[in-house]
Amino acid sequence: MKEYLKNTWLGIYTVLVGMKITFKHLFTPAVTIQYPEVKLKLPERERNRLYVNIDDCIGCDQCSRACPVSCIDIETVKSIPGEDLGTTSNGKKKAFWVTNFTIDFAKCCYCQLCVFPCPTECIYMTDVFEFSTYERNDLVYQFSNLTKEEAEQKKINFANFQAEKEKQKAAAATAPKTENPSQPNTN
Amino acid sequence: MYQYFYELTGSVIISTLITAVFPLVNVLLVALLGVYLERKVSAWMQDRVGPNRAGPFGLFQTVADFIKMLQKEDATALDIDKKLYNIAPVLVFAGSFAVYAVIPFSSKLIGSEIEVGLFYALAVSSFVVAGILMAGWSSNNKYSLLGAMRSAAQIVSYEIPTALVVLAMVMFLGTLSLSKISEMQTAYFWNWNILGGAEFGLVKFLLIPFMVVGFVIIFISTLAEVNRTPFDIPEAESELVAGYFTEYCGMKWAMFMLSEYGNMFAVSAIVSILFFGGYQSPFGYLGNTLGIEWLIPYEQAFWFILKGWFFIFVQMWLRWTLPRLRVDQLMTVCWKYLIPYAFVNLIIIGIITLL
Amino acid sequence: MNYYDILFYLFAIITLVSAGFVVTTRNVIYSAFFLLFTFFGVAGIYVLLAADFIAVVQIMVYVGGILILLLFGVMLTNKITNVDIRTGTGNLLPASIAVGLLMGALVSVMIYTGWKVQPGEVPDTSIKQLGALLITDYLLIFELLGILLLIALIGAASIARRDKE
Ligand code: SF4
Ligand code: SF4
Repeated sequence: MKEYLKNTWLGIYTVLVGMKITFKHLFTPAVTIQYPEVKLKLPERERNRLYVNIDDCIGCDQCSRACPVSCIDIETVKSIPGEDLGTTSNGKKKAFWVTNFTIDFAKCCYCQLCVFPCPTECIYMTDVFEFSTYERNDLVYQFSNLTKEEAEQKKINFANFQAEKEKQKAAAATAPKTENPSQPNTN
Repeated sequence: MYQYFYELTGSVIISTLITAVFPLVNVLLVALLGVYLERKVSAWMQDRVGPNRAGPFGLFQTVADFIKMLQKEDATALDIDKKLYNIAPVLVFAGSFAVYAVIPFSSKLIGSEIEVGLFYALAVSSFVVAGILMAGWSSNNKYSLLGAMRSAAQIVSYEIPTALVVLAMVMFLGTLSLSKISEMQTAYFWNWNILGGAEFGLVKFLLIPFMVVGFVIIFISTLAEVNRTPFDIPEAESELVAGYFTEYCGMKWAMFMLSEYGNMFAVSAIVSILFFGGYQSPFGYLGNTLGIEWLIPYEQAFWFILKGWFFIFVQMWLRWTLPRLRVDQLMTVCWKYLIPYAFVNLIIIGIITLL
Repeated sequence: MNYYDILFYLFAIITLVSAGFVVTTRNVIYSAFFLLFTFFGVAGIYVLLAADFIAVVQIMVYVGGILILLLFGVMLTNKITNVDIRTGTGNLLPASIAVGLLMGALVSVMIYTGWKVQPGEVPDTSIKQLGALLITDYLLIFELLGILLLIALIGAASIARRDKE
């Protein structure tokens, strides 16, 4: 009987305690952050969408090789002598035309592994994280600043140059062989 | 109300229709605002914001939901019992709506002033049970069937403490008519039954603790009868998906929801009529002090709806405070605690009334 | 024909049609649910007879109690243990003779009894009189019924507990 009354009391009392707690919370301000209007400050080393400063890119393909999911697609064409590509901001000489540099952010896992190997520090994380699209293809970002025609042109240039060189080589090969051994001597 | 419209229009059919439509509007409003309030209250209690996009303060959220529900495809499972499956939501809603026939919103605004009002209100809820069983069985789904079984067992057992408290109140008041019960607690709040009724004297003060006990018992058991948390084992999401309406969607599902909210208001109304003066204002009427006769019924309706909403709020409050009971705990609470207390309470109130 | 007549025929049709279905359908669940409408119709007729208390009791006891128990029983056995309960018709001849005799008796009672039609005001409610009669004239029967129910309750409980020991 005593147990019974105690149970009853406990039942009512604990419910009242619970109700008191929830009632207090009725007036505590919400902890919700109303996201699109209010945004939290991002942490210092956040990893978001990548950006490639294509002017600094030397087309070394290291980032692409580091990527675990192979979402960076780089196509380069060697420059031909006489073309000046300029230097990167840290003084490296550029030797490749980057005809295609795409990153597929639908595949990217934001691991940042591509950032470290870059010798010119031109691929880095930005603070943009809202870039949803309606089409999956829209997530493939093109960073190369050459137009299609220019890229074609570069390829043709290089092909021509190559052909030229081949021709010269062929010509050199057909030239008299006696000249050849003398060359080391001149050095 | 019926009389009033009968004098106004002179037609039985029109006046009956208007009298019937008013509670329907009330139920719809309760469902629309109730769902909104439920979300808001739960959000506030969990330190969230709740719906705030559709309309000012998210007020149109439920309207948007309603429109969405109307557009939904009526998907049904293959092996259901089509006929019963379609009747069940209607029966459930009819059962919960029928209660409104006897609920006095004010001294004028009452569907039917029958003498057995209280008893009637208890009785028609059995249609809800039948409808729930029908829904559970016809869905041909184990979750639905289990939910229906649990629900029926729960409602049938919790009807007993409710009836016992009602019996005590009937003994004390000497009437079953809801409008008469409300009339008896007129004037100020100290005349309410929870404070011992309108008659002043020793009896009044002796009664107060037992009235409080009675109120607690009937509140708990009606809470269980409308299947609200902590007594929502019939639709326990984590175990039974949605219980007896697992297989329903679109408007048919909405009917179940509508009847749930309709039920919530109905039991709140009955509790407030039995213990908290029904439509009576706690501080006297503005219409009386200003000498405007016609204002009084409107004031009464206001107070009544306010009290109804207050108890709905308490139900929500409990819902977001307590976890769900287990089945055996549920039955323990009913048979081992509520019923004995209700019995003792019944006897004591009887004895005090005889004094 | 006034509204009362229309309502009476409505309830009568509900009662009769659903009662017919209760007897004729072969699915026990359907019978049980048709019984619901039968009870509802009967309650309506009681209301039209100004027997409000009886009408509500009809719903409370038959729909709220007996029908629910019936459904419970049928559903638990039908669905959970996978026994398909179907009603069949057997013993057609003896059954029809017995039912015919009973019906004849009832109809003759209906026709040959000198019903006392008492003109006058129908009282607003019947609870007061019912209550008074129950604890004055019919007190003994009332008490006996209470004892009977108690016995049934205890019996049911002891049957349910027997195989525990
Ligand atoms: S962040 Fe990782 S996944 Fe994304 S491009 Fe760089 S290496 Fe690839
Ligand atoms: S590692 Fe840097 S420089 Fe090399 S290809 Fe990638 S982005 Fe360009």
